[in-house]
Amino acid sequence: MVKTPLTKRSPLRILEDYTHGGPGPGSIAVLASPKGVGKTACLVHIATEKLFQGKPVIHVSYASRVDYIITWYEDIFKEIARQRRLRSAMAVHDEIIRKRVIMNFKQDGMRTEQVLRSVEAMITFGKFSAETVIVDGYDFALATTDDLRKFKDFASRMELEIWFSASLRETGGPLFDADGTPCVLSAHRDELDVVITLHARGDRVELRVVKDHDHPAAGILPLRLDPKTLLIARDK
Amino acid sequence: MTTIDRMRNIGISAHIDSGKTTLTERILFYCKKIHKTHEVKGKDGVGATMDHMDLERERGITITSAATYVSWAGHSVNIIDTPGHVDFTIEVERSLRVLDGAILVLCAVGGVQSQTITVDRQLRRYNVPRIAFVNKCDRVGANPFKVRDQLEEKLKHNAVLMQVPIGLEDGHRGVVDLVEMKALTFEGPGGENVRVGEIPEDLLAEARKRRDELLDAASLFSDELTVAILEEKVTAGLIREAVRRGTIARKLTPVFLGSAYKNKGVQALLDGIVAYLPHPGEVENEAVDLEAGGTAVKLVTDPSLPAVLLAFKLEDGPFGQLTYIRIYQGHIEKGTELWNTRSGQKIKIGRLVRMHADDMEDIAEAGAGDIAALFGVECASGDTFCAPGLNLAMTSIYVPEPVISLAIKPVDQRSLDRLAKALNRFAKEDPTFRTHVDPESHETIIQGMGELHLDVYVERMKREYDAEVETGAPQVAYRESITARAEFDYVHKKQTGGAGQFGRVIGYIEPLAEGAFEFKNEIKGGRIPRDFIPSCEKGFRSVLKKGELIGFPVIGVRVVLTDGAYHEVDSSDAAFQAAAVGAFRQVYRKAKPQILEPIMKVSVEGPVDFAGNIFATINQRRGTIVSSVEDGTFTRVDAEVPLSEMFGYSTVLRSLTQGKAEFTMEFLRYGRVPAPVAEELAKTAAAGKG
Repeated sequence: MVKTPLTKRSPLRILEDYTHGGPGPGSIAVLASPKGVGKTACLVHIATEKLFQGKPVIHVSYASRVDYIITWYEDIFKEIARQRRLRSAMAVHDEIIRKRVIMNFKQDGMRTEQVLRSVEAMITFGKFSAETVIVDGYDFALATTDDLRKFKDFASRMELEIWFSASLRETGGPLFDADGTPCVLSAHRDELDVVITLHARGDRVELRVVKDHDHPAAGILPLRLDPKTLLIARDK
Repeated sequence: MTTIDRMRNIGISAHIDSGKTTLTERILFYCKKIHKTHEVKGKDGVGATMDHMDLERERGITITSAATYVSWAGHSVNIIDTPGHVDFTIEVERSLRVLDGAILVLCAVGGVQSQTITVDRQLRRYNVPRIAFVNKCDRVGANPFKVRDQLEEKLKHNAVLMQVPIGLEDGHRGVVDLVEMKALTFEGPGGENVRVGEIPEDLLAEARKRRDELLDAASLFSDELTVAILEEKVTAGLIREAVRRGTIARKLTPVFLGSAYKNKGVQALLDGIVAYLPHPGEVENEAVDLEAGGTAVKLVTDPSLPAVLLAFKLEDGPFGQLTYIRIYQGHIEKGTELWNTRSGQKIKIGRLVRMHADDMEDIAEAGAGDIAALFGVECASGDTFCAPGLNLAMTSIYVPEPVISLAIKPVDQRSLDRLAKALNRFAKEDPTFRTHVDPESHETIIQGMGELHLDVYVERMKREYDAEVETGAPQVAYRESITARAEFDYVHKKQTGGAGQFGRVIGYIEPLAEGAFEFKNEIKGGRIPRDFIPSCEKGFRSVLKKGELIGFPVIGVRVVLTDGAYHEVDSSDAAFQAAAVGAFRQVYRKAKPQILEPIMKVSVEGPVDFAGNIFATINQRRGTIVSSVEDGTFTRVDAEVPLSEMFGYSTVLRSLTQGKAEFTMEFLRYGRVPAPVAEELAKTAAAGKG
């Protein structure tokens, strides 16, 4: 098995350091930004790091096409393999691919219970022992507190770490509230354990922790998204 | 020659027992091509015209795709028989490829059944516009309104009734045409007299209500109709035009009603085919340009352009091989010269015919969009014929290697004689079906893409060729390969009296990422004479045919010769071949050999309620789930599963999901067999050797 522990250099290690060990099992984390800043790449990077550690990931997507997501994984894998000068990259690739399942749902009218039921079926009947669930493309504007509570309960019961992306759309009003929390998430703050926002600043994207469990949030992280690869990198 | 807008190429798709064959017969009858209809169940021993293969009737599935020509209301209609089974991928693909539209037949009692869902999904996959026919309105419990609702709920069709029934069950007499607002009843012994009359008083309210629904649905596709509705100037022509547009865009499904068995409503359905399904010019077709590196080229349904034809079906008739073709571009006539872009062979069109099941009619020419059959053309099913100057392929040239094999043995001399003919025919029809005689066991081996694939051919040998065979257990086509570089230095020496033999080869073998075998000679200075180098290569090639682990071919090997030695007198072709064989045997184990197995790309579809069962079946079969896609009612699971684990999967899946899930599989790649399984295989192979 090709387990590579998160090295000290790993930018995700920094992410964990600044959020009291990361979201952890039973927790919900959200990565929020306007469209096109790099949320999906970021989530796929987080998922790929988990896969490198030998931890299975379920990637739930509301996008219309599965091949699009697979391409993201391929690109990010290639980039990481290149950066780490991985030998026998293909063998590693084939092995970690077995630990990833993509579950795609058509958003219209798809109820939270149904999504969770299918994810649970994958874990129990498919014997897919996921520790991390990535949820990309979920529409928080349509989410009720009840929906989020169901995700939260599911995370606790199944001991999963769930990572969401939240797209912030211009509505005319402010995008963020006084604490820096995206307004679309304000109502759900209690259900969320970690909230990180991405901000485009000229040609770089900075990451800001706006909620960190019950601790005061760390604010801007010494991390950025590499504009070329969209990978999370240390701020130089 | 019929103009393009008066041509229709259609298929009839249905769940078993919804009356597809009876409907086809009635269509042929009303088009005056046959004069007597038979009941499908075969009381008179004649049976239906379309399903001329007994096997199909027995299994309730249609395997071949005969095309039948009829004419109706000044239009030429080609009816292509479509296989309703998912396993014959190539067969399904070819017949769906030549369709421009389809009739989805449903039972007025059973409604949308599991196989309706299957065939509908196939049609959807190939973007085939469809109209629905709710058959068996004479049966107890018939409810076409419920069936329309199911089309909407279960198949997500925007289904709209074009008719309402005049009476149901025993009292079913005809239909009300909601476009013309007339009552149609069918009289005479075969229902051949269509009587147009006023709508019965008691149906008027229902008819008006349903017509409003029809107008609502149709107006979305025509602004003219919308305006006409507001101004109350709706004409039948406007409605038809709007429904036609919606149908061709696959956004509307017009629903027709009747009872083929009781001769009700079939003529109105034929009118519907002509009115609403597209003509060949309204459908986009693409070919692959073999010159320009496989880029897609759009074909234009224009008879004056250079011809492009697809041979989609071969049949053995009393007059030799019959090749069914669809013309996508240009036109052909007697004497037209074309070439087969797969084989490179030139052909000249001789006899050109139109087929009516087992009957035929000679024609002088055929143009773009048409379907016809040729005599005396040597080709395989799926071949493309082009006018000189074009080099296109209608179907993918890539044919996967067979992944499963079966030993067959004729039961008697008679069967043996007929078997060769059958095998030859099947191999021509289906490029994924192969056959050879094993040099060691002298058994005839047939190879194909799956269990059912070979089963069907074994049945066909018996039914069509009267060749009965016994079969062995299906065998997965394993491969062996190496994972490490290893060096050899081998001397083959026999110099004890008589003519001696001497040859020495030095070099190494290493894994080859792509391809089966590569031979490289790096010897400098004639340590092995040039003449004997091919002997070495030949030796290596021969030994690779049967790996030492389990006796399957070894692939992915590069042999590099770096040095050697020879003897002036005793070295020979045979000696160096033997040296190569010895060298490989010496080094193979050192190169860390492994067993590879075919990994299939499996796609399972079923209702979401069964998602868990589907996940479990994949997991139990050493499979990897790649993705699942859910749309609220259905889930599709894509997975990679070793072929050896897929035997009997259809039965398991059917019983776990009450027949509501289906799957397809195709070869994906060769993958490494896990150690415990490999040990088991090696043990079996050793036992087999005795």
